[in-house]
Amino acid sequence: MSGNKRQYAFFLGCIAPNRYPGIEASAIKTSEKVGIELLPLKGASCCPAPGAFGAIDLNIWYAMAARNIVLAEQMGMDITLICNGCYKSIYEVNEKLKHNDDLRDGANEVLAEIDMEFKGTIDVWHLAELYYDPKIVGVDKIAESVTRPLTGAKIAVHYGCHLMKPRKERHFGDTENPMWIEELVAALGAEPVQYRNKMLCCGAGGGVRGYDLTHAIDITNEKMINLQEAGADALTEVCPFCQLQYDRGQVEIKEKFGIEWGLPVLHYNELLGLAQGMSPDELALDLHAIDVEPFLKKIL
Amino acid sequence: MAEVKKNEEPRIGVFVCHCGTNIAGSIDVAAVKDYAKTLPNVAIADDYQYMCSTPGQNKIAEAIAEHNLTGVVVAACSPRLHEPTFRNATKAGGLNPFRFEMANIREQNSWVHMHQPEEATAKAKDAVRIAVAKASLLEDLIPKSVPVEKAAMVVGGGVGGMQAALDLASAGIKTYLVEKNPTIGGRMSQLDKTFPTLDCSQCILTPKMVDVYRHEGIELLTYTEVEAVEGYIGNFDVTLRKKARGVITPAEAEARGIVGGGCTGCGDCVDVCPVIKPNPFELGMAPRKAIYIYHPQVSPLIYTVDFDACVKCGLCVEACGDKKAIDLDMEDEFMTVKVGTAIIATGYDIFPIEKKFEWGYKNYDNVITSLEFERLICASGPTGGHLVRPSDGETPKKVAFVLCAGSRDNTGVGKPYCSRFCCMYSLKHAHQIIEKIPGAVPYIFYMDIRSFGKMYEEFYYRIQNEGAKFIRGRVANILEDPVTKNLHVNAEDTLLGRPLDIEVDMVVLAAAVEPSAETEKTRRLFGVSCSQDGWLLEAHPKLNPCGTTTAGVYLAGVCQGPKDIPDTVAQAEGAASAASIPIHRGEVELEPYFAQCIEEKCAGCGLCVNLCPYGALALVEKDGRTVMQVTEAKCKGCGTCGGFCPGGAIWMQHFATPQIVAQIDAFLLGGEQ
Repeated sequence: MSGNKRQYAFFLGCIAPNRYPGIEASAIKTSEKVGIELLPLKGASCCPAPGAFGAIDLNIWYAMAARNIVLAEQMGMDITLICNGCYKSIYEVNEKLKHNDDLRDGANEVLAEIDMEFKGTIDVWHLAELYYDPKIVGVDKIAESVTRPLTGAKIAVHYGCHLMKPRKERHFGDTENPMWIEELVAALGAEPVQYRNKMLCCGAGGGVRGYDLTHAIDITNEKMINLQEAGADALTEVCPFCQLQYDRGQVEIKEKFGIEWGLPVLHYNELLGLAQGMSPDELALDLHAIDVEPFLKKIL
Repeated sequence: MAEVKKNEEPRIGVFVCHCGTNIAGSIDVAAVKDYAKTLPNVAIADDYQYMCSTPGQNKIAEAIAEHNLTGVVVAACSPRLHEPTFRNATKAGGLNPFRFEMANIREQNSWVHMHQPEEATAKAKDAVRIAVAKASLLEDLIPKSVPVEKAAMVVGGGVGGMQAALDLASAGIKTYLVEKNPTIGGRMSQLDKTFPTLDCSQCILTPKMVDVYRHEGIELLTYTEVEAVEGYIGNFDVTLRKKARGVITPAEAEARGIVGGGCTGCGDCVDVCPVIKPNPFELGMAPRKAIYIYHPQVSPLIYTVDFDACVKCGLCVEACGDKKAIDLDMEDEFMTVKVGTAIIATGYDIFPIEKKFEWGYKNYDNVITSLEFERLICASGPTGGHLVRPSDGETPKKVAFVLCAGSRDNTGVGKPYCSRFCCMYSLKHAHQIIEKIPGAVPYIFYMDIRSFGKMYEEFYYRIQNEGAKFIRGRVANILEDPVTKNLHVNAEDTLLGRPLDIEVDMVVLAAAVEPSAETEKTRRLFGVSCSQDGWLLEAHPKLNPCGTTTAGVYLAGVCQGPKDIPDTVAQAEGAASAASIPIHRGEVELEPYFAQCIEEKCAGCGLCVNLCPYGALALVEKDGRTVMQVTEAKCKGCGTCGGFCPGGAIWMQHFATPQIVAQIDAFLLGGEQ
């Protein structure tokens, strides 16, 4: 630990740095203010994407994810990350290889070609769960870090499938109506709102977006109907891939279905950044497909 | 019985069983036998295909005579299975049966080490060596007989408890039937019709309730709970709490000197009572007063005051008039009764299905449980038998039935087991709406239809032919249309391999069942074990389904595991039969595993007296010294006192310190090098 900050190896993933750099920036800057230091996981690759890689060869999925884990093992640090897809790959592979000797041997056989070995010495966390865990950060400390409360904003939460399920391979308790991210939203001074079918997929996952875009945005459109019904000013999530689907997906919905929703979509770290006083420029909010301006006007 | 003197040279016979291939398939039986021959004190070692067979048992008896054995070891299955068999064989050979020791090399060895023959054989040798060490130190023990009180108790007045009480009392045994509610009848009273015969539940139950009430041999104790249980088979002292009912019976009135008084069930008190509460019998769907009966057929027909709700205005007392049946100052009373045996029949509750958030129970108005459906479809229920939607009182046309709601659920939220009667009553529900509501369509979402009983499969075909829609697939979630309050049931039709979204007017969740709230408390009082999911544990799942591991305590009905009415009644009759056997024999033999005080070592400190969970120990004056004395009939041989005694003054018969030390020594020091 440097000072009294907890250090974690920060696994960036692909979508955040490439499409929404504000998520990366805010993750690093907001974490500093609540006692977490994120150190770059140098040499990291794609997580790799669980659907794309896992569907073709599980052992390659294990081995590639394990390679990222081994990099952190060499740093002697737990991994934290900001994307549900990465979470599925890195967290799940770490748990599987720790507890299944056959799988571990299979992955290590591949890793041996690059002189690496998975040892199972670290844990993997989603940054949001570190924020929620009172032993690490906790809701109170998040609330204390807020300098510009998001008062008056009604914010809906999308948890994301890979974060919460399969239930048996996660540790979040209730997976049908979780409320912990709502608590994190409330800590920013905003009002979390509930909506129909909250746990429905964003529409992108499981390769659906790549296979059948119309079907994917149809699911997204249903989410939009329910979100509008609940009167949400913005949607927050903890997954850049879900964010991409909701944000760019609204453009596609407009193109294909002619429906314009205009619902701003922000990663929880972006919201936390705003609440901690980061400027929209620092958060690169202009790179969002859906204009965040109306939401900003409401809160700033 | 041959007298065996202490300090004689032990001569042990060892018999290794093949159990067909159960043991011999992974353990080298001949090697174990040859190894046994090398052990100290072993006079003969032999092996046989099936030691439990008559020739196998004869081998033991013959060897005892031929080799003048002092102890016998059989290496075979679990002692829970065949210890009595081999004790009898030992006895037949002329030895005291407690000179026998069993080494379990099947359940704890060959079955779990099926693919490790070498390790399994080594482990079997260890087990045999340990058993021989103990057998070399075993003593003659004489079981004790105690008289059995000619009375029995049944806890729980549902259909199972009622049947058990009727059988016991009809066999000439005084029977106390204890029921926590103000009336007997249990869950069956809440049901409308019963499958597959479609006869009215209350109609077939009422005669039984009347029989129980009128039976001379049954002392019916309603609104009463078991408070404490002491003693053992033959002599249980059960303390009961008669909860303050606020109303006295004609008999109690007579005892108080009120001529012609007591509750007649006229109901005048109800009309004047100003307090209105939800009626739990109607699952909160109808009101009741602070003074109430559950339903018109209650037995006994005595009103009850809900003192949590009563404002003690006294209007009911006035209305009751000269009958003076109402006593608003009544307090709980305690009584103790002595019984020889007891039957637990505490039934079930509905699993709180709102925990399965995705189905929206308690969140959406028109999602109800099947028990609520029973009340709504029942002519004596809150709607007079007209099924209505709670949201708007309209008659539903399209009704979805979600089977396995919380049953067969491995998510950790629901229950892993099958609740067993939901398939059948849901078929019945489908039939009822087709019959009562013109044009109604039931959609049954199922995993498997388990129509296992007599005439059940035929009933299933009948409901199929009546037009019910069967969809094989679990319901993923249910969403409410906020305007119409209709429900969208999302599921996968796994036969067609396609997702479905069916809009219905009402959803009925066939919620899982779980042990009733009182089951845990009751089982602890009677010292009965339970399985992981809380159902009470029978002595043997196949061969002793009514007994428990606590002698003199038996099980009837759903408290032992989900079962329908015929199975409950059958088990109740079995439990009653089992519970009557010790009573009719008049005495029971207790296993002589009790503690003994070695008086010359006892310092009379009394620490053990407080430790004993069964109150079996006391300090007494003997030859001018204070020493501990054991009431052998109360002692369960748990060993708590023996393990604790600082002076080593307690001898646990059959599990004595030197015997156990010899086993540990044999294990740690005696192995093959």
